Amino acid sequence: MESRRKFLATAVGATVAVTAATAASAAAKNDNPALMTCSPAVGGGKNASRFPHVIVQDQFKRKAWFYEELIRDKLVFINFTSVKGEKYYPILENMVKVQEMISDRLGKDVFMYTITTDPYRDTPDTLKTLADAYGAKWQFLSGEPEDVRLVLEAFHARGSLHGLSWVGNEKLGRWLNKPSRLHPLYIAESIARLSTGKHHKPYLERMRSA
Amino acid sequence: MKRRDLLKAGAAAVAATPAIFGGTMAPRSAQAQLCRLEGIRNPITEPDSPAVTSFTEPLYFPPAMAEVPEASLNPPPDPGRHQRYSEFLPQKFYVQHLTEGYWNYHSELSALNPNGGSLAWMFNGATPGETLVARYGEPVFVRRYNDLPDLEHSQMPFGYPASTIHLHNAHTASESDGYPMDFTIPGEYWDHHYAMMLARNDPREALGSLWYHDHMVDFTSTNVYAGLSAMTVFYDDIDTGDENDTRPGALRLPGNLQFGGDDQGNPNGYDIQLILHDVRFDQNGNPAYNVFDTDGHLGDLITVNRKVKPFMNVEPRKYRFRIYDGGPSRLYELELRDQSEMICIANDGNLLEGPVPVTSIVLGPANRYDVIIDFSRYSPGEQIDLVNVMEQTNGQGPTGRRLPADQVMDVLRFNIVDLKGPDNSQVPSFLRKLPDINLEEVVAHREWVFDHDMGLWTVNGQFMDPNIVSATPKQGTAEIWTFRNAGTSWAHPVHVHFEEFQVLEWNGKPPTGVLKSRKDVAVLGPGDTVKVFYRFDDFEGMYVIHCHNNVHEDNAMMLQWKIVK
Repeated sequence: MESRRKFLATAVGATVAVTAATAASAAAKNDNPALMTCSPAVGGGKNASRFPHVIVQDQFKRKAWFYEELIRDKLVFINFTSVKGEKYYPILENMVKVQEMISDRLGKDVFMYTITTDPYRDTPDTLKTLADAYGAKWQFLSGEPEDVRLVLEAFHARGSLHGLSWVGNEKLGRWLNKPSRLHPLYIAESIARLSTGKHHKPYLERMRSA
Repeated sequence: MKRRDLLKAGAAAVAATPAIFGGTMAPRSAQAQLCRLEGIRNPITEPDSPAVTSFTEPLYFPPAMAEVPEASLNPPPDPGRHQRYSEFLPQKFYVQHLTEGYWNYHSELSALNPNGGSLAWMFNGATPGETLVARYGEPVFVRRYNDLPDLEHSQMPFGYPASTIHLHNAHTASESDGYPMDFTIPGEYWDHHYAMMLARNDPREALGSLWYHDHMVDFTSTNVYAGLSAMTVFYDDIDTGDENDTRPGALRLPGNLQFGGDDQGNPNGYDIQLILHDVRFDQNGNPAYNVFDTDGHLGDLITVNRKVKPFMNVEPRKYRFRIYDGGPSRLYELELRDQSEMICIANDGNLLEGPVPVTSIVLGPANRYDVIIDFSRYSPGEQIDLVNVMEQTNGQGPTGRRLPADQVMDVLRFNIVDLKGPDNSQVPSFLRKLPDINLEEVVAHREWVFDHDMGLWTVNGQFMDPNIVSATPKQGTAEIWTFRNAGTSWAHPVHVHFEEFQVLEWNGKPPTGVLKSRKDVAVLGPGDTVKVFYRFDDFEGMYVIHCHNNVHEDNAMMLQWKIVK
């Protein structure tokens, strides 16, 4: 991890020169993430030290630094499955219901990611087919297996089936988890619970005993 | 090398790790050789606490809660919100405010923090909060205000500023029980009515050592760890708290009905409550917590009443200690460093039929044991330490090994001082009869299987869902419940609210010794099966069964059940 951070820091530093030289074409960015001009400097973010600094890509083959670009300062909802795992322990049907409940916020102030638990087999193409089959509009992340394994490890996700989802407000550094197959209302509620500003709601439905 | 020295060295050299956490930290390449990662603490996610000297911080003795006039409550209590309120009209009223602030866990930690203390969530400005001291027949009313900062302004880096306070394990109506969904948000309050009635009006059902703590859904572990825990003592007609009691039948256990103490380690009485939390501190002296480790949280410093490895002064006489494992995940085997005798008189706060001499006590999260230690075998000027000898390397459960003598974890030092007066307390050979178990009354059998599946901690394959009620025992009936741990390497301290159980069989064998008792937490070892007897009486409504490894609980190892008419 340390060497990756150094690599990233170097890459960011080097980018200025590279950008000037190559005018940083869009194609170059996608082909070589080390040349990405948008990578923020390493070090910021409440939980920056506990997430790996690796590059992942979504089903549209867009590459991004996992923590710096997808997590830091954002409200995120992260779940785990794979093309194969979905056959044995389906979660996407439930996740789509959550998507409907937060549709007005999705991609604006709530960012939803599915991380593949099968990075050796899943590719952006296979994950796109999977996402499209369910009408999932959020990002499905894969990448170099070694990198994805580090991401999975950060969430203590082990094995090809993992039934726990995470909601994180990385502006505040506060996280919670919910079973992925819990009733979608309670997952949406936990997103509202960790939201700040006008979207903050401590509960969606009072479940008090009295 | 002593553990203390090791810790000091740890602060200087980042790589050094107390041996209890698996020895010197393995480099990444070596970690890959090991079968599972969770046993290896990551120095980035869970760094060592700053070095702290043992036995220099005086123990904190929480005072008893102070009464307020009923008329001072505005708005007044609403009898309509409580079951059987008019039958058990409150005689004592208390108010607590939950706040965020700074707490002196240890002067060496406070010195690291610009605010002069470690971040804490507190009751009336302290953690543990004041002790609720109550007597059977004197109903109690507690109004708790959530004055924590809101989500955006809380400095506590973990937890959630909503709260519901459970009085573990009082015979309390559902609406006052601290049901996980009965939470308040900052600015709200919740009224708790404690009827102080004996279950089934049976004096054999009296409870003695209880505690109150947060039970917020998804955030119990973090909120309690942040500071929301405190102790409770119930007295009754024989366990009166007065060692000079002349009434017939009075047990005259060490007591004197005084709570609190000074800030030099001197308690007021001889009935002392000790709650243990293992805490990890960051370099600013604030508590640190790795929310992503769903196996459990281990701290590397043991706190007693939220003081790190403190000391207290004791006279050469008998004391009653009520010892609580406040969690979140650590199990303890506590013993005196000279392995001398303690006399166990209560399990999970409930008096045994007779005292059981022991040289160590084993507690899982939420377990309580009352022990009597007779310091008259020591002389003023001597010291004796309470230490933890159980090895535990991850939050799942202990390894099953005892720590070697040079690696035991310091817990609490007793400094023997001069005797101030006669010790009139006694250890009666008979304490309290257990209620009868009438298997003819049993109308249902239920099994609860605790397991781990795909990253989730489950009960009967299910996880906490506020919409699902998993059992509906009928009021006025008895049932046999079986708790089974389907895991092969982890422990689950199973806790059921509202009623105490009696063990019928533990792995097929009838209970003996301290297990012949009424209990509310069964610490299931790997593969354990425990069959218990329950009755359900007096109140109705929603309660929970959950793993009291609070990290497992927050990862959904909790189900709801409801007493119905």
